[in-house]
Amino acid sequence: MTRLPRDWSIERKLPSFFSALLLVVVLVMLGAAYQQVRTAALTFASERVKRSTKEWVNASLRSTAQQRTQLATLVGDPGIRDFVASKGTRGRDWALAAMRRVAPDNAPNVAMELWDTGGHRLVLRGDSAFASDPAPLPASDSGVVSPYRVQHDTLLLSDMQAVVRQGTEGAVIGRVVVIRRLNVSAVARQTLTGISGGDMSLLIGNAAGDPWTDLEKIIPAPPAAVRVVHDSAIAVSYERGDAKIGAAARIPGTPIMFISELSRRQVLAPTRVYLRRMSLIAAVIVLVGALGAWWVSRRITKPLRHLTTAAAAIASGELAQHVDIPGTDELGRLGRSFNVMASEVQRARSNLEHQVAERTQALRETNAELEAFSYSVSHDLRAPLRAIHGFARILLEDHGAELQPEAKRVLGVIDENTRRMGQLIDDLLAFSRLGRKELETGRVDMTDLVRSVADEVRRTAGDRPLEITIGPLPPARGDRDMLRQAVTNLLDNAAKFTRRRAPGQIEVGHRADGAETVYYVKDNGAGFDPRYAGKLFGVFQRLHRAEEFEGTGVGLAIVQRVVQRHGGRVWAEGQLEAGATFFFTLRGASDA
Amino acid sequence: MTQPHEVEILLVEDNPSDAELTLRALKQRNLANQVFVCHDGAEALEFFFGDGSHALREIGVVPKVILLDLKLPKVDGLEVLRRLKEEARTKSIPVVVLTSSREEPDIARAYRLGANSYIVKPVDFEAFARAVSDVGLYWLLLNHPPR
Repeated sequence: MTRLPRDWSIERKLPSFFSALLLVVVLVMLGAAYQQVRTAALTFASERVKRSTKEWVNASLRSTAQQRTQLATLVGDPGIRDFVASKGTRGRDWALAAMRRVAPDNAPNVAMELWDTGGHRLVLRGDSAFASDPAPLPASDSGVVSPYRVQHDTLLLSDMQAVVRQGTEGAVIGRVVVIRRLNVSAVARQTLTGISGGDMSLLIGNAAGDPWTDLEKIIPAPPAAVRVVHDSAIAVSYERGDAKIGAAARIPGTPIMFISELSRRQVLAPTRVYLRRMSLIAAVIVLVGALGAWWVSRRITKPLRHLTTAAAAIASGELAQHVDIPGTDELGRLGRSFNVMASEVQRARSNLEHQVAERTQALRETNAELEAFSYSVSHDLRAPLRAIHGFARILLEDHGAELQPEAKRVLGVIDENTRRMGQLIDDLLAFSRLGRKELETGRVDMTDLVRSVADEVRRTAGDRPLEITIGPLPPARGDRDMLRQAVTNLLDNAAKFTRRRAPGQIEVGHRADGAETVYYVKDNGAGFDPRYAGKLFGVFQRLHRAEEFEGTGVGLAIVQRVVQRHGGRVWAEGQLEAGATFFFTLRGASDA
Repeated sequence: MTQPHEVEILLVEDNPSDAELTLRALKQRNLANQVFVCHDGAEALEFFFGDGSHALREIGVVPKVILLDLKLPKVDGLEVLRRLKEEARTKSIPVVVLTSSREEPDIARAYRLGANSYIVKPVDFEAFARAVSDVGLYWLLLNHPPR
């Protein structure tokens, strides 16, 4: 048996299951009904053959008893006794008349004889062709019926005899023999079987064996199984040409047996017709059931299909969905619930969109304010600073000769601080610009980028011994300008803090970490106290005094912001006077 | 003060300190004699397109270069730039935007409107003086405007 595929739809599963169930039920019922009808037919046939046999036996018993009485009357007749006693010499006419009275010259009796004890036939009445020759075996009592015998191949004869005595209780002096013929012909058979219904066969023969007849012709004796005599007639099944059902019974006091039999095939013919008709009806029932189940499943699955389509549409973002499922049943309720849900989702979505629009607007306004602020800072803060610086320089240039050394030193401090303030403003603006700028993402060849930044750093470093080693770096996905800014800051940083080393060593490398790549910039510079590692990336956070290493404290904050905007992480490891390593992670260029 | 008909450099600058520093830088290169200063956008427009009420208008005077600040009272620098580049008569005058703004949108808009250079004024005076005098030298002495 092949397994049903798992993705069979309910629309196919339900009718298939129902049809299979219906088929099984109908087949079982059909089988049971057929069995019952068959049993009933066989029982009825058994009853029929039993009743038929019983009736035939009873009828035969009556006629035999009648003949016995007649024969007893005949042998008790004084004229017959006298005739036999005289060895047929006296009273012949009297005897013949008496015999004619007892057994008329009509069938089945075909002849009547009187024998003396010496084996001489005294009288033969009737057809001499049927005469006993030699004399039949003597009977010990009166009214004994003999088995059938065949004569001339076609005739079945049986005789009944009774003894003639001298006086009522005297010695046996002779016998009377009545020879009876069984009529065997198509007409006889039809006549007799017609009485029992045309389909019934009536068999007559000797209980002990051949000959037998079906009243049309001589036949072999039926199987011994059916010829067993029971106390009451029972029906048995046996083979005689074909399968038969028959009941046998012996005529009491004779060796002769009757069998009524029916052909099993004929008995069961109506049940086969019944089976055919019922099969047709069953097929119609299964067909109608299957169609009904299909219709019902369509009725169920059609709304389900609608729901599925609508749900899929909602899932893909088309929220304006409405399903039309009429009725108050479960499906109808589901449909209405679905519609309520869909409109709720739509309402919630539009609310959300409204809110998002509001927030976006608010954000945009805030951003615009921030931009205006940055613009002001950029423009309005720098202008006075430039003036301070410029006029301080003018003072020094134009009136330097008139100034005391202390005045010159103070002017120098002003000069230095305005410079730093300018740098601070520039860095601060760069940092804030970074947060607002849109990412322009693309594939970035990190090896190339680091190499060109390193060239710049080397140029700035001048004659100072500085070794920068760059390992082959996997490409990243990100904004080239921003990443360049971050790398520049890291390398500048490394170059700055290795200033007191000879040579300063900077190593740029990477290692894979799952889907991310970890890039690192390692130096042998001043390092930092690991207790303050968390402060490294804060804006304006510095771990060194300005006299040692200049800077505004914005560089690493910019690195952190760039990396975070790319979805990466940044951290640092280091020891005081033992170098520092800065790590940052980026997604690979192959990622979508 | 230089007369309009002799103008070679038109400086549009509202901040008097910046104006003075600019003039000083130009003076160090001996370029300050033909400089005319407008103190806001409206004055700059008056210089080219006015009805003469401010005695600034002088038909036919074409400076060799305009140094234009962006953040100006009344009419801002970008508007002045737009008007100058719209007018056929003034379209070919080189305009150098000299401003404190480093903002990308400003730079992009200035170039879109036809600015010939965009220079961010450094806070550092030496750097500022160098930038201004380089601009003056370039546009006045090295550049050949169409005849």
